[in-house]
Amino acid sequence: MIEVNSISFRYHQDWVLQDVSFRVEKGEFIGVIGPNGSGKSTLLKILYRLLDPQRGEVSFKLVPLKRMNRMDIAKRVAVVPQETHALFPFRVMEIVLMGRFPYLGRLMFEREEDLEIARKAMDWTKILPFSERPIDELSGGERKRVFIAKALAQEPEIILLDEPTTNLDIHHQIDFLNLILTLNRERGLTIVMASHDMNIASEFCDRLILLKEGGIYKMGTPGEVVTQENIEHVYGCEVWVDQHPVSGMPRISLLKKEMK
Amino acid sequence: MKIFFILFILIFLCTSVSSPATHPFKDEVGREVTFPFPPKRIVSLAPNITEILFTLGIDEEIVGVSIHCNFPEKAKDKIQVGSYISLDFERVVSLKPDLVIATGAGNTRDMVERLGKLGFPTYVIFPKNFNDILQSIAHLGQVVDREKEATAVIQDMKRRRQKMVELTHGLPRPKVFLQIGEAPIVTVGKGSFGDDLIHLAGGENVSGNEKEMYPRLGMEEILKRSPEVILISSMNPKGDYRRILQEWAHWKMIPAVKNGRIHLIDSDLIDRPSPRIINGLEEVARMLHPERFKKY
Amino acid sequence: MKMITLKKVVIVSVLLGCLLILVVLLSITMGSVKVPPLRSIRILLESILGSKETGSETERAIILSLRVPRIILAGLVGAGLSLSGVIFQALLRNPLADPYILGVSSGAAVGTIFAILMGLGSLSFGLPIASFLGALFTVIVVFYFGRQDGKIHPNTLLLAGVIISAFLSALIMFFISVSQKEELHTIIFWLMGDFSFSNPQAIRMILPYILFGICFLYFHAQQLNLILLGEEHALQLGVNVERLRLISYLSASLITAASVSVCGLIGFVGLIVPHSVRLIFGPDHRLLMPSSVLVGASFLIASDTFARSLLAPIELPVGVITAAFGGPFFIYLLKTRKVIKTL
Repeated sequence: MIEVNSISFRYHQDWVLQDVSFRVEKGEFIGVIGPNGSGKSTLLKILYRLLDPQRGEVSFKLVPLKRMNRMDIAKRVAVVPQETHALFPFRVMEIVLMGRFPYLGRLMFEREEDLEIARKAMDWTKILPFSERPIDELSGGERKRVFIAKALAQEPEIILLDEPTTNLDIHHQIDFLNLILTLNRERGLTIVMASHDMNIASEFCDRLILLKEGGIYKMGTPGEVVTQENIEHVYGCEVWVDQHPVSGMPRISLLKKEMK
Repeated sequence: MKIFFILFILIFLCTSVSSPATHPFKDEVGREVTFPFPPKRIVSLAPNITEILFTLGIDEEIVGVSIHCNFPEKAKDKIQVGSYISLDFERVVSLKPDLVIATGAGNTRDMVERLGKLGFPTYVIFPKNFNDILQSIAHLGQVVDREKEATAVIQDMKRRRQKMVELTHGLPRPKVFLQIGEAPIVTVGKGSFGDDLIHLAGGENVSGNEKEMYPRLGMEEILKRSPEVILISSMNPKGDYRRILQEWAHWKMIPAVKNGRIHLIDSDLIDRPSPRIINGLEEVARMLHPERFKKY
Repeated sequence: MKMITLKKVVIVSVLLGCLLILVVLLSITMGSVKVPPLRSIRILLESILGSKETGSETERAIILSLRVPRIILAGLVGAGLSLSGVIFQALLRNPLADPYILGVSSGAAVGTIFAILMGLGSLSFGLPIASFLGALFTVIVVFYFGRQDGKIHPNTLLLAGVIISAFLSALIMFFISVSQKEELHTIIFWLMGDFSFSNPQAIRMILPYILFGICFLYFHAQQLNLILLGEEHALQLGVNVERLRLISYLSASLITAASVSVCGLIGFVGLIVPHSVRLIFGPDHRLLMPSSVLVGASFLIASDTFARSLLAPIELPVGVITAAFGGPFFIYLLKTRKVIKTL
């Protein structure tokens, strides 16, 4: 569904991404992992055309992003950003409805069907009881769900998540990820998630892309990517890799200096 | 003991003889001012003061004037020491005046006090209407030792005033609007020179009942008061008389506009408490009662 | 579920429109000269219908040539300044922004003062053009310096505007220090803002900007909502953020420039009205924009009417009234905010 062809990007002098290529198939749950500064966020921003790569091309179903109208991109790609702080205290309902913007056209006012879609999205993310509350009154976890609901309201084919579990406690992390997983499995939504938490990525994603200094170090299943060797090469530190006792997926444990 | 007594008397005599003759004068705001008499070096801080001095025959004694002093021509050649509100004290010091003359309607109290602290006696005049001007001329005549000339000037002004009053006696008083500001529109109220002149010239100031000396009237009020004559006092040298006329032309229901009785008058003549105020009076009278002046 | 629908916007607009009409009618009847209220209204109606029966020539002049132009101009300027306030607050993402923050008003002031010192034109003709040119020049300069990497950036724009504004203020102070007494009076008079020189030419001059601005900008109301959520959110949803910023900046600046040119610097309106309306009606621009426009017009007309009637025959500067009434009212709203629920 998405083809990334040899893209390179830099903000100023230094290349943040160099010659990155991969494909995302429909229905996949992809995790993009790597150390800070490896280009995870930048890659995501390129995927929804917040940034344009200086070299290379990204295509959505064979149509280059550059040739697509922003509204069309919005109808296909939705983003749940890292920051959920809103400058003005809009109400939850208003924010979710903003997800319908690409479909409103000249009209500017939402129709009954738009309301329906928004309601369903809020129901799905279990925030319907909060619909009238201003967003600054909600907790971090609840706010995240508002933005997922907004992303859902866009009726996208693919959802991008940028470091979605930062600042969430365990309970909310699990809720959130299960929600995403359900969206992926039951609704067939393609997911691309950038995360610094490798265990989460390993646990939930079908495929992982491990970035190192702007290039792809390894791409494949969690079992292929999350190995002691790879982690050492990319992160430059020793870790213990074993298997999650319940799921069998690779699991990383930290090592104190004395333990080695 | 005797020696001490004689010494004491001698010292006393010496100190009283060594100082020059001084006169304590009381100025128009009640201050006691002592200065060498007659003053040989005078600084004037306002244009009306300068005019009065020149009229009294003083010329060389004037060593400093304000930047506003524009009459007579010779005044423009004098050294300038500042404006109404801002004084170049260094320059004043360098001129070493015996006496500084200021006006209560213009110069600031701070200025006068500071001059006092610097050791310069300052005589303040404060004329508020036509009669006060005559008084000020008399006072300044005393101060600069030109009492005879002062009396002559005052007599002349009184005579000419009387002539105007006689000429316009019994005539109906036209309603007059004296405009001294363009934006906003400012006119003259009770206690101002303009108001005094209008009255003396046989007119009725439409704003004569306003408590402020220079009230801002809205156009609605002016329309309601329907002035028959509009006098425009030109203070702005770049002001465009035609432009002001164009503005007034919008309001044809005002009698003054309809009958074309809008006149320009030099503000130095009607707003400056100097001997030329009598010229101002004659001008205004001519504008208010043109039929009386056709013979001249 | 409560939300902003077209119906709600129309209802609120109609209600506020009625308030505006009421304010206009009351203002026609008030003034330093007592004209009986019914007669005033009849004079107004007759002039629309083309007849000239009621009232003396003076009364007709007072109503039609003095009060009506003032009311219309005050309404247009109130609407314009309120709308620009809304737009600048969204553009700069700053609730403290008002229409003058980017220096447009300082530019207009420099233009006006320069013209006054050169003796060009009067408050009715000439000067408004000089103001507008000064304002326009400033808009362009700030725009040029407010860009970063070729794009408008709110913080850079704000910084550029504030700095240029400060520079222009210094220039204004210089001009003031070298001006004569008579000019000074006119300069200060203009700086305080005043409607006493309202005339049909001024109305004709600013009407197109205000009307066009209001209509054109309304189509971008929803986009402004999105941009307030965050630049990335807006882009991601399909908004052309750069284009929106450009349009907002230029339109709001032009509206401000036009307003300031005809009546001087009237403060408070562009800050108080958007905030008050937002506290009552919420931050959604689809409702905020038309409400601010109508409330702004009513507010400024009412303020001007008070300014010219309160201490008649003396006229107060309208800026004094907007601050004196606007300030306490706004504080009142702030305190009771929790009670007033958004519709």
